[in-house]
Amino acid sequence: MDFLVWLEGTGIANAIRTIPWMYPAFETGHYIGLSLLVGGIMLIDLRVLGFARTLSLRSMIGLLPFVWIGFIINVVTGSLLFIYGATGFGTNKAFLLKMTFMVLAGLNALAFDLSVRRSAADWVTADLPPQHVKIFATASLALWLCVVTTGRWMAYL
Amino acid sequence: MAFLEWLQSTSVGVMVAESLWGYPLFETIHTIGMAMLIGSLGLINLRVLGYKPELPVLETRRLLPLAWIGFTLNAISGALLFTSDAVTFFNSYTFRVKMVLIILGGLNAALLGQKVFREAPAGSAAVVPDTAAKWIAATSLVFWFGAVCCGRLIAYLP
Repeated sequence: MDFLVWLEGTGIANAIRTIPWMYPAFETGHYIGLSLLVGGIMLIDLRVLGFARTLSLRSMIGLLPFVWIGFIINVVTGSLLFIYGATGFGTNKAFLLKMTFMVLAGLNALAFDLSVRRSAADWVTADLPPQHVKIFATASLALWLCVVTTGRWMAYL
Repeated sequence: MAFLEWLQSTSVGVMVAESLWGYPLFETIHTIGMAMLIGSLGLINLRVLGYKPELPVLETRRLLPLAWIGFTLNAISGALLFTSDAVTFFNSYTFRVKMVLIILGGLNAALLGQKVFREAPAGSAAVVPDTAAKWIAATSLVFWFGAVCCGRLIAYLP
């Protein structure tokens, strides 16, 4: 809690609270980031599950840089948004749920990534994702949708 | 104006405005639909602009169902959100700009569809979008990302 109080009192946090355009700008940036992150991951996950089959699996997995850019934008904007009201957000159940889902989504993504690296030449080229990879893709979709949902709940809990 | 006030007063409008779960639920759906729309249209437009040349241009149309689902989710959730405070939203300049950008985005998408996907000679394996198509794709991206920004800024700008 002391850490949250300290965060909320930093110069940056004060700037965000006093300069009117900062919070809206970072929130908007957070939505752009989420469009790239969630939009991108949806395309990849759905493709792994067989949607838009005539677009090569390898090319679609190649969209990951967008997902990363979106993720980095959101870590940065998210951190700035967080310190604005650290004591409130830090104890907000929806926020804590959101972070949990994010960690799970991150672990899931890591597992997917390792799978791709280990057998890249095989199932990606053959467009035959093994069952466990399809499960990663489904979990990914579900987890990121949970992140979006709990993110929105933050304003209401 | 009277119509908008009536809209706000309907049971739907009141439900979205006053229930604990109404607004968050439809806002969440709206965000998810947005991600679907931006993801699918984003990739189609980027391909027209030359990104990921190994993807056959004509095949990116396979992403359109996702775009339509996203758009439909957002049209419905957007309408429901609108009814909760119809007068305020209608009078908001930021909301109006967002609506204009969406219309422009839609027109652009139709234009691109006509130019790149429908005018392609039958059986053409390699379609190379021309400069005009690239301009349409580029402005589409501006319109859609602009709509996303405006959407969030409705809460902050007049």
